[in-house]
Amino acid sequence: MKKLVSLLAGASLLLASCAPADQAATKVTLVAHDSFAISDESIAEFQEASGFELEIIRAGDAGSLTNRLVLTKDSPIADVVFGIDNTFRGIADENGIIEGELFPVDYADVCFNYDRLWFEKRGMTPPASWRDLTKPSYNSLTVVTNPLSSSPGLAFLAATVAAFGEQSFEQYWKELRDNGVMVAAGWEEAYFIYFSGSSGNGDYPIVLSYSSSPAAEIRENGKSQTAALLEECFRQIEFVGTLAGASNPEGAKALVEFLLSESFQNTMPGLMYVYPVNEKAVIPAEWSEFGPAANSTMGEDLSIATHREKWQTKWSAIFE
Amino acid sequence: MFYWPIAKITSLGFSGDWLATLSEPKILEVIWFTLWQAALSTLVTLVVAIPGAYLLYRKSFPGQSLIKALITIPFVLPSIVVAVGFTVFRGVHDFWIEFGLTFLSDPIYWIIAAHVFVNYSIAVRTIGGVWSGLDTEIDDAAELDGAGRLRSLLAISLPQLRPAVFSTAALVFLFSATSFGIVLVLGGGQVQTIETAIYFSATQFLDLESAAALVFIQTLITAAAFLVGSSLAKGTVGLEQVFEGTRKPRVDKRDWPAAVVTAGIVLGLLVMPMLLVLVEAFKVGDGWGLRNFANLGTRGARDLLNISVLDAAANSLRNMVVAAGIAFFLGTLISWLLVRTRQKLLDLVFLVPLGVSSVVLGFGFLVSFNSSWFPLRSSWLIVPLAQALIALPMVIRLVYPALVSIGKEPIEQASLDGASSWQIWRFVESGMIKGVLLTAAGYAAIISVGEFGASSFLAYGSEGTIPTLLFRLIARPGEQNYGMAMAVSAILIVFVLLVMLLLSRYSRYKQA
Repeated sequence: MKKLVSLLAGASLLLASCAPADQAATKVTLVAHDSFAISDESIAEFQEASGFELEIIRAGDAGSLTNRLVLTKDSPIADVVFGIDNTFRGIADENGIIEGELFPVDYADVCFNYDRLWFEKRGMTPPASWRDLTKPSYNSLTVVTNPLSSSPGLAFLAATVAAFGEQSFEQYWKELRDNGVMVAAGWEEAYFIYFSGSSGNGDYPIVLSYSSSPAAEIRENGKSQTAALLEECFRQIEFVGTLAGASNPEGAKALVEFLLSESFQNTMPGLMYVYPVNEKAVIPAEWSEFGPAANSTMGEDLSIATHREKWQTKWSAIFE
Repeated sequence: MFYWPIAKITSLGFSGDWLATLSEPKILEVIWFTLWQAALSTLVTLVVAIPGAYLLYRKSFPGQSLIKALITIPFVLPSIVVAVGFTVFRGVHDFWIEFGLTFLSDPIYWIIAAHVFVNYSIAVRTIGGVWSGLDTEIDDAAELDGAGRLRSLLAISLPQLRPAVFSTAALVFLFSATSFGIVLVLGGGQVQTIETAIYFSATQFLDLESAAALVFIQTLITAAAFLVGSSLAKGTVGLEQVFEGTRKPRVDKRDWPAAVVTAGIVLGLLVMPMLLVLVEAFKVGDGWGLRNFANLGTRGARDLLNISVLDAAANSLRNMVVAAGIAFFLGTLISWLLVRTRQKLLDLVFLVPLGVSSVVLGFGFLVSFNSSWFPLRSSWLIVPLAQALIALPMVIRLVYPALVSIGKEPIEQASLDGASSWQIWRFVESGMIKGVLLTAAGYAAIISVGEFGASSFLAYGSEGTIPTLLFRLIARPGEQNYGMAMAVSAILIVFVLLVMLLLSRYSRYKQA
């Protein structure tokens, strides 16, 4: 037992002794969701230009990230947050976790994709809008993601509320259910396991994904196998901002500026599959051709944070 | 490290009215479903694992260690890879549905099948480990008297194996009751267990009251499963030291029922999904080739990855050695101390964490530990340390019952002979439970290799591991990313296979 005690004591000492006493002046800490990516070159560039060392913490998906920041707001875990999106922004505002302003940093449009090849082979007409998906001709052809466990799922739920109103959006979902819609827990399963247009073995030719996804499905003939329905999509906007009570406000300011700069924004489509907000940033050529942003979007102006749980509960009741 | 985050979560939700939450019909339904699906998963796993344990640990045949290594792989496969692999059964599934077995379209049956897929090896190994230590003389005598295999199994072996079977049952029950990824992915997020319900209340709704109530219930179930398991598993088996390969009889014709069941499970349930993943890894467009693997050397399309797969594999290997070393050493030490002190309460304190959900733990870490708690965060050591912590209860859970089953006699005898504690351990105990120790080391190693939760928080940039690389790839659209993700899965499968094969080689070498 003695051995064990001394071992544990040793381990805790090891943990305790490494705590740096004063890091505020030299280091700036960024907390981000799991999908955040930054190249080594960008990190080096920021550190060189600002003189601050950059530390990155990841805190789950956008929901977990926001909730964690609410729970730890009395002793903030970082200086800057990246990745609170417009579906969770309300929670951040209500709880006062941000100092100053949240700046839009990137966006992505949640749109349905369809497998062009599948429809061509059968001589069928692909849907023109997601409103068509309840039609009998599209019976058992569509995969959506669960709005409780997936952010594009929640985005589309919000779009249906915007389209049909609080009172009658459930009707659309009931019709969708009766028309044999498949529900996947996450985007990965929906896209790679059930969807036929990518390289998985799926047999559903319509999937809820992003407007940019077809740019990743370009085949040897130089064309994309898939296309997106670009009307009435939901625009997910991600924000960056300084946390209230940040221990290095000066570094935070420099980091926010860097994340909005042309240099970093140029890397975002490649690393995170999102559109940069900086108009000077370069968008890859295949994105402009095969994965353009949506023509029209809806649902972003709803106060999603307030109503989310109610909508999700209604949705669950339909799909239980 | 375990209890603090959990206490923190529970205290955050403590203000609420637990009873009100717990008596909601929806919550009751979730609890009931969790219990019965775990019980059914456990039952099916045990039924198919007992013949497997017999063939793989009681008998000998060529290719045995390959199969032992092979069946362990599912234990570490990320749930998304399990889901990809399980698409291989779509054809069969559609056939059954056509055939009129429409109840099979319920995702629950997929979930249970996946639980068997994942837990088969742990059941085979823990039961087999004890079985290989049982005396064969009674079996032989019964056979001479004309008893069939099934009869000697029911009349002789099973009663002797009772402790092993029940402690295995408790383990599989816990893994099935707290499984998260499989329930979420195969259930489309529509099938709820306590674990997924905790996840949704805590991370999506910030409803800490419900989450805390559910955590409390889950902890109760965990503790109950252990108490029931250990009280049913009472009694010692009187193990004796066996030398693998020297005394085990060859498989003969009369073993056919066990062989059929085992071949069916291993080939039909376990190997097929893994084969599909391997096939996908070599699929390039409409043809075949190595492009997916070649792409991995280059950090992916447009530098999606910060690190090449070789570097990631090196990181995984390094983490594995450190994590498994720590977990194995500490776990064996704690088990040994538990046996010596015979403290029931202490027992529970170390065993309960195994049943505590990773979701709870992850969320607990999120709210409990700020940067001053993880001063090592900038060091690569933090990842294997966290992984060691995750693997530790598993090591204890495997080693402790084995040590208990040795009984007091051999130890008292040795100490009468004047042996020190170290000598008893070195020459008596460790020899008797060698198989179990090896299994424990193996699982500690592969838990580290497959671990994703802690690494995703703590290992980034150039510290990425094989699973973090996999998730990065599969979270992006595109044929190329999917192909690379499958290639990474294939590498993970081969990696685990090699680790398990090397371990069994090592043990045979030690014996020689």
